[in-house]
Amino acid sequence: MSRRSGERRFALALFLPALLLLVVTTTLPLVYLIWTSVQRVDLSMPWITGFAGLENYAKLGADARFWSSMALTFIYTGTTVALQVVVGLGLALLVMQVKAGQGLLRVAAILPIVLAPVVAGLFWRSLVLAPDFGIMDFFTRSLGLGSYNWLGDPQLALISVIAIHTWQWTPFAFLVLLASLAALPPDIYEAARLDRAGPWQRFRHITLPLIRPAIVIVVILRMVTALSAFAAIFAATGGGPGTATEILNLYAYRLSFTELNLGYGAAVATVLLLITLTVSFGLFALRKGR
Amino acid sequence: MAIDSNSRRRILKAGVAAPVLLGAPWVARYAHAQAASLGPYQSAKVNWRQAEGEKITVAVIPAGYFDALISITPEFQALTGIEVRYEKVPPGQIRQKAILDLTSKTGTYATHAADPMYYDLYVSNKWIEPIEKYLGDAKLTDAGWYNANDIIPAWRGANSVKGQLYGVPFDGESTLQIYRKDLYDAKGLKPADTLDQVAKNAAAIHDPNNRVWGAALRGFKGAGQNMYIYPSIFRALGGEWFSGGAFRANSKEGVAALEWYVELLSRYAPPAVRNWNWPDLADAFSQGTLGLYIDANTSASVLNNPERSKVLGKIGYARWPKGPSGKRVSSIWNWGFPINAALSEKAKRATWLFIQWASAAETQARTSWKAQGPVKRLGLNRLSLWQSKEFATLAGGLGSNFLEASIDSLRNDLDVDWRPKMPQWPAVGETMATAIQAALVGQQKPREALDEAQTRIGQILKG
Repeated sequence: MSRRSGERRFALALFLPALLLLVVTTTLPLVYLIWTSVQRVDLSMPWITGFAGLENYAKLGADARFWSSMALTFIYTGTTVALQVVVGLGLALLVMQVKAGQGLLRVAAILPIVLAPVVAGLFWRSLVLAPDFGIMDFFTRSLGLGSYNWLGDPQLALISVIAIHTWQWTPFAFLVLLASLAALPPDIYEAARLDRAGPWQRFRHITLPLIRPAIVIVVILRMVTALSAFAAIFAATGGGPGTATEILNLYAYRLSFTELNLGYGAAVATVLLLITLTVSFGLFALRKGR
Repeated sequence: MAIDSNSRRRILKAGVAAPVLLGAPWVARYAHAQAASLGPYQSAKVNWRQAEGEKITVAVIPAGYFDALISITPEFQALTGIEVRYEKVPPGQIRQKAILDLTSKTGTYATHAADPMYYDLYVSNKWIEPIEKYLGDAKLTDAGWYNANDIIPAWRGANSVKGQLYGVPFDGESTLQIYRKDLYDAKGLKPADTLDQVAKNAAAIHDPNNRVWGAALRGFKGAGQNMYIYPSIFRALGGEWFSGGAFRANSKEGVAALEWYVELLSRYAPPAVRNWNWPDLADAFSQGTLGLYIDANTSASVLNNPERSKVLGKIGYARWPKGPSGKRVSSIWNWGFPINAALSEKAKRATWLFIQWASAAETQARTSWKAQGPVKRLGLNRLSLWQSKEFATLAGGLGSNFLEASIDSLRNDLDVDWRPKMPQWPAVGETMATAIQAALVGQQKPREALDEAQTRIGQILKG
């Protein structure tokens, strides 16, 4: 036996426990999810249990609530990611100008990230957005704009959950972009200045192209998080009022665990999984392509 | 020292007993009280100790009425030798946890506080046992002593599937109008007798500039929130859940009921009401900001909390207003105890003994007017207890007409078909709640919302 294959076997032995753990905790449940999605499993109608083939998926076409939660998922993901990148980049550029105390700002920025999303949701629900008593209402009332039912009105509720997510995750974009801004070589800017490039030109033609990889990474990671968001919305609105904030994840949860239609719920979850995979592969391909 | 011989003997005895009991201090505390207090149970012709040594776990929700039961459970353990462990699960999760346990057949919860709407689901999966098996067995139940027929009939009806009882009511409620008697008296108003009068009364009281709103109802989304109020309006207007065997959400009466609900809340309720469940309503009423709300009669104990309430002595109660057909429809809400079918035979017997004990008249009294603690339960499961002198004394201070309105409504207004009895209730209730909320917040018109619910429920029922 060659030394090489012995080494490989040793590497495999080291790798195997981790692989097994991954298979047991992620792959198997995933396979089971897909298996469930092709079954008829509805606890409230045990008499229909059986193999369904693609029936559950076929039903999606005519399910208005599925399409509206799909649309909401895209609105929610699109706006939160765009806001995070824009606000995060803005903050990073601003903080770059601050000479002293940057460390403190970084620590402060981490705070929302380390909060559990469910805590963030509850915190906003009960302290910030509560009508009459909340901080938001305090501001709008003292500005003479009146009191609002932030989480009770369909449109305000959607804006509110977008705000919660943006508040919690913008610091992530901020930190990543700040780090990559700090690593930019100063000599290019000096050369640009000698060529009389204005601040906007410098930003547009130097900064942006240089930090583009970082932005793409932020977009990918934030998209995956936004697509799989659950806890904060669940805690703040429960998907309501009505179905105004019911993104796909919440719809799948409601189907499976409130309505007890496990088969159909699994199908919705599988579709969400496919969307997430497609989006991230697409973005990665885009990144490699250039 | 002057100690009479009697008490000296007691002290001596205690001295001997102390070292033995040190290992289990709580046994010592209860053992003393029990010797005398087990009598009412021992008069039943049933061998309470037949399942001695069994251990059962009971899931309940964190609530005063279950705390009262928990605090006297050492008496049950002394009576039967069965060890009971309680697990408190918040009301929002207890159904899911119970279903998880039942569907995996682990038998974790011998019994749990069950939602009456879930029995059809449980039974169609054969997850629980028919109670008759235990109730009709002379070795397990002394029928004369237990007197099952005394338990409020509509609650038993609600907990039955095809005429078979599956869960024994422990605590429950009826829905009543709760109004500010002082405000009504000042305007010369009487509590509403019909649905139309509710709005008229509300209009007369409504004065939001002085922080008094005319009327409010549960507005939050959920099977136990807005879908708790809506069915009473719907049934009072003559609505039927099923027509020709098929579920109908968008009937004429359905739309009318939802319009009434939307109209009342949008005109006379505080704007935040759409997020409110019963505790929020009770808070608002206690703070003196509501003229009327319609909710569980058991809220009376919260409204009369001297530390929180600003409306002490100003509360009046009346039955649900009636619809055009003269029907008044209260909820049939009760927490019942079913028997988990996944248990061993001995554990099932132990569970039944527990249920029998908890729902017996004596235990109901001991958790109510006889209770030691500050909480005295109101949601007693037997009409004979509601009509007893002792209970009348307890309920006397709760406000004007509390006892009369409660008894009348427990007797006449409880409607077994208050909500649609069907195994698919979890999905149907949730869908209806979503539609009602969409209408309450103005996202959809009542008809539109119910049409959509109908389509969706049609799909759900098709499977």
